[in-house]
Amino acid sequence: MYKYDHIDQTLVDQRVAQFRDQVARRLNGTLAEEEFRPLRLQNGLYHQRHAYMLRVAIPYGLLSSTQLRTLANISEKYDRGYGHFTTRQNIQFNWITLEDTPHILADLAKVEMHAIQTSGNCIRNITSDAFAGVAGDEYVDTRPVCELLRQWSTLHPEFAHLPRKFKFAVNGAKEDRTVLLCHDVGIELKKNKDGNHGELTNGLTADIYAGGGMGRTPILGSLIKQGLLWQLLPSYLTALLRVYNRFGRRDNLYKARIKILVKALGPEEFARQVEGEWLHLQNGDDNFTRAEWDRVAKHFTKPAYQTLPTLSNEQIIAKANGVDTVAFSRWLERNVKAHQIPGYASVILSLKPHGTVAPGDATTAQMNAIANLADQYSFGELRVTHEQNLVLADVEQAKLFELWQAAKQQQVALPNVGLLTDIIACPGGDFCSLANAKSLPIAKAIQERFDDLDYLFDLGDISLNISGCINSCGHHHVGNIGVLGVDKDGQEWYQITLGGEQGNDAAIGKVIGPSFYADEIPNVITNVINTYVQERNDDESFIQTYRRLGVTPFKEAAYKNKNNAEKSLGTAS
Amino acid sequence: MSAQQPILHFPLGGKICLAPNEWQLWSGQDEGANSTLPNLEPGSQKVLVPFSWWRSHFHAHHQNTDVLAKAKNGQIGVWFAADEDVLKHAELIEEGKEYWPLVAAHFPIFRDGRSFSTAAILRDRLSWNKEIRMIGDVLIDQLLQGARVGFDSFELRQDQDLAVAQKQFDLFSVTTQNSWRDKRTVMSAL
Repeated sequence: MYKYDHIDQTLVDQRVAQFRDQVARRLNGTLAEEEFRPLRLQNGLYHQRHAYMLRVAIPYGLLSSTQLRTLANISEKYDRGYGHFTTRQNIQFNWITLEDTPHILADLAKVEMHAIQTSGNCIRNITSDAFAGVAGDEYVDTRPVCELLRQWSTLHPEFAHLPRKFKFAVNGAKEDRTVLLCHDVGIELKKNKDGNHGELTNGLTADIYAGGGMGRTPILGSLIKQGLLWQLLPSYLTALLRVYNRFGRRDNLYKARIKILVKALGPEEFARQVEGEWLHLQNGDDNFTRAEWDRVAKHFTKPAYQTLPTLSNEQIIAKANGVDTVAFSRWLERNVKAHQIPGYASVILSLKPHGTVAPGDATTAQMNAIANLADQYSFGELRVTHEQNLVLADVEQAKLFELWQAAKQQQVALPNVGLLTDIIACPGGDFCSLANAKSLPIAKAIQERFDDLDYLFDLGDISLNISGCINSCGHHHVGNIGVLGVDKDGQEWYQITLGGEQGNDAAIGKVIGPSFYADEIPNVITNVINTYVQERNDDESFIQTYRRLGVTPFKEAAYKNKNNAEKSLGTAS
Repeated sequence: MSAQQPILHFPLGGKICLAPNEWQLWSGQDEGANSTLPNLEPGSQKVLVPFSWWRSHFHAHHQNTDVLAKAKNGQIGVWFAADEDVLKHAELIEEGKEYWPLVAAHFPIFRDGRSFSTAAILRDRLSWNKEIRMIGDVLIDQLLQGARVGFDSFELRQDQDLAVAQKQFDLFSVTTQNSWRDKRTVMSAL
């Protein structure tokens, strides 16, 4: 993975010093809270219900075992013994004091980490495919471009106070695992074999999607540029962000994201304005050079893979010597993914054990143990997934059984990846001051209701996502089943959406009708699931059945026990 | 309107210094659309007028002689509101190069970053090479960003500590993207 040179290290060290001074001015009263707020947010520090929350950047989800140990230490020393991995591949600590923050940032800087731009109205952590560089279906390894863009966007002066937050995702695989179209800018990298490409381009181009997002106005991004040579990304993105910075709405917080501007202008007109600005920038020296590519790309070469035979599932299961073969097979089926290199596989460690506190949480002990597993089985590296799980990307197939046993001891081996209980959830009203309702007890109740692996396996692929408010941090809009916390007269209610999907067939779910009380949710989900089981054709997944039948049978089932249905809140507005 | 706070200057390639504010900031809105310039003592006072006011009072078919005389005397500069689209008025700004010793861009509130793009456009696209002043709700922690996008003088809000302000510009010895002041560090390292 990428290693800082003196430039990167100097920058994060000096950023720590800058923030230390800002905190000191806040504490001595010369900097007002209102004016400190954007400064702390741009360093990942939120003020929540109980304490400060610090969000640490994990650029494009890539983490070394040393870095994970540092995160474990921070969780023990400054927090309450755990951290929460987020849908944007970052980690959050929920019980932080302002006074400790500069020390934490200094600890992070020692292992080439930071919290720069993990919040605030600026370019956020760039996310990508958790399987970049190893995925069987990859056509471009996105990591060098992600790293170049990370550097380009870090402390960008012109875009420090955008109308609203700005999120990039970068995909380079056949199957989109980045929720590309739900980002302010989605960058799809392609390798073009045809045509005459200069030495520099290496055939690598980018398609740019703009104006996607979730929140209260979920919209899928529109394609605004095709075949952009990769090295022109800085000038093109400068033009794009400049148009947004100048003309994005600032009069209404809820209309300030780029999606509203793109929608208001129309994607064609927005693209035209970006082109107009880009015309004056595209030949400038903002663009990446071959030397910069080489400086970064050399860190993303393949690790020292051994020449190994590809093992069949039967051969892998045979390593179990007849012990626990059913459970091990299930884990292989759900939590182990194909790899580019013969004899290797990628392993997803589930941070969604049933009935625990929060999806995506890992304790200090788990983080330390997982760091050891990474050293032992996967070249000392890990990735964080959009679904809030961890990945050991480069595991020898012959060692999968051994790893599974070790993972079980840490309670991170539940074979529920992609199943109903692999729930994406935000921290919700238990922690977040924005939330209207709690998310975590809902996730827990659903996991407890569906705590039967045989049944979960029979149900197959289903995504269930929970957000505690319309800011949609739990990505409920793209869950096959979405649960949204809403506040009505000071009470917590939950709205259900169906039909959302991430991936290549990305879709925004539709609200089925009036919302429910928290304690009704497990029954509602059960009724929806039962309808699927009754109606499905052979090998048909939940979303396929939903698309074939439409919302009606699911909606009827959801409300069958509801006598006093609340008046519909309607669709998100 | 106040001219009490000294101005922080950080010229391109030059040293940071404080100097008295010679420029009176005029909102232009005191007396409606037909408002007239404040009285200026000949040769001693200078005024920053809203660009929108300049646009309506100074163009080829309607050259206000009093304004023209003062402008020719170097007593008038313009300030751009945050929502001013400078690219729409490139010709007028080109003409202004003849008159204005400086221009300013306004921050209605510190967290409104539009004027960062205004300054960047003035430098990159409109080739403005004289002073650009940061005015309005200008706080210590915006200075570095302002200095990098193209501002070279800063009228800080009255309550800001100028001693702390002057220390902001060399907090970072490296950068990872080009700016008006310097190229990204890697370009000289590679």
